[in-house]
Amino acid sequence: MGFGVALLLGLLYTLHPVLREAIRALNTVLQSISVLIWIVVLVMVFGVLSPLPPILVASLVALPIVLAAVVAGLDSSSRKLAELATMLGANKLQYYRDFLLPSLAPSLAGATRSALGAALRISVVAEAFGSSGGIGYMIANYYNLAEPRGVFAWGTILVVVMILLDKLLLEPLEKRAARWSIEA
Amino acid sequence: MEHRGIALRVTSIYKSFGGRLVLNGVSIEARRGEVVAIVGPNGSGKTTLLRIIAGLEKPDKGRVEIHGRALLVFQENLLLPWKKLRDNIALGLVYAGLPRREIERKVSEAAKLLGLTEYLDKYPWQVSGGTARKAAIARILVLDPDILLLDEPLAGLDIRTRRALLERIVAIAHEKGKTVIVVDHSVEAVAPYADRIYIMSYPPTRVEASIDLRKTEPGKRLSLVYGVLSELGRRETLGTTRGEPRAGT
Ligand SMILES: Nc1ncnc2c1ncn2[C@@H]1O[C@H](COP(=O)(O)OP(=O)(O)OP(=O)(O)O)[C@@H](O)[C@H]1O
Ligand SMILES: [Mg+2]
Repeated sequence: MGFGVALLLGLLYTLHPVLREAIRALNTVLQSISVLIWIVVLVMVFGVLSPLPPILVASLVALPIVLAAVVAGLDSSSRKLAELATMLGANKLQYYRDFLLPSLAPSLAGATRSALGAALRISVVAEAFGSSGGIGYMIANYYNLAEPRGVFAWGTILVVVMILLDKLLLEPLEKRAARWSIEA
Repeated sequence: MEHRGIALRVTSIYKSFGGRLVLNGVSIEARRGEVVAIVGPNGSGKTTLLRIIAGLEKPDKGRVEIHGRALLVFQENLLLPWKKLRDNIALGLVYAGLPRREIERKVSEAAKLLGLTEYLDKYPWQVSGGTARKAAIARILVLDPDILLLDEPLAGLDIRTRRALLERIVAIAHEKGKTVIVVDHSVEAVAPYADRIYIMSYPPTRVEASIDLRKTEPGKRLSLVYGVLSELGRRETLGTTRGEPRAGT
């Protein structure tokens, strides 16, 4: 979800210089707000049993990372590509579909990898604070029961899941997307 | 068709960037069916001049007169790595809304002309630099421009690939009646293939010499150019920027 919002903001970024400044500012603010504050606020708003806080917190963590990548990707290649698209007679829609969006793939893939990692780690914390399920909840639960073995078991599962996800999905994705970078 | 008429005439073009004068009153002219070479050192504004002709940049002063449509092949290939060569070449035809059969026909024709047929189903990152360059040219050629602007099409290509590409370029001009402007750093590379050559100075750039090569046979064009340049006392301006050996003087 953070990914989607970031992409959307990134595209807005291309549209107007004023939006550009606003989005830059927003990103700076987002990046400087502590995750703990988000967790506490969101749990207070939605309640301990709601599944929303972990999801929202994860999105909020992922968003600035992805957004920064989108913006960097846009700045580097969009001018030349836009000129080429004009030369070939593409309209705005065709330009976004065939040129701009795919050109963001390499930087997006890299950012997704780090954003997803960060988001997962954070959502575990959020689960521990206020949630009725998930690995974070389990760890907090065993902690409250003073059962270190349970904490370690779930902690290990967490690490294994993250490594598997990274190696099996995210790393290959990033490698594939790297082919899509435009040679200068 | 008016085969020998003027296709392009730019007159007294001035262009500065950030207060630095780059083009200092440059005039060039090209006829239909001609290969015109523009040779000049790095930073002399060759790319800028092509961009002005293609309408991507406005001159500060001067006149651009174009008969027909001028399309530019960028110095960077800018092939889309997410599309096969076939689909890269077809892009402009798709945007023009041509029927599929027609697109396929035009793509095969351009591919054949440039010697790309066997690579059409490859992705840009699967082919050599020379093939990628040809594909970038084909992508513009299929749009059938009257004036084809090639920004350093020879850069990064070995001698044999260059020669082959230049022969295709000459064929495009002479047989299809297109005007082709070829930009390069070195007279050696392009003089034998050009109908006319413009030699640019260091910036602020003026045209150092404009030499008509049509009446000279290809093998003697280079020495003609050298002759003119030494008369001007400007032999040092160019020719050896890439460290290539100078052909017999
Ligand atoms: N958009 C721009 N903004 C600022 N300066 C520019 C811009 N475009 C070109 N220049 C400057 O104008 C000069 C001429 O550039 P140009 O790229 O046209 O030269 P060139 O002859 O094509 O050089 P090369 O042989 O290296 O390709 C350079 O000094 C360049 O830095
Ligand atoms: Mg250039």
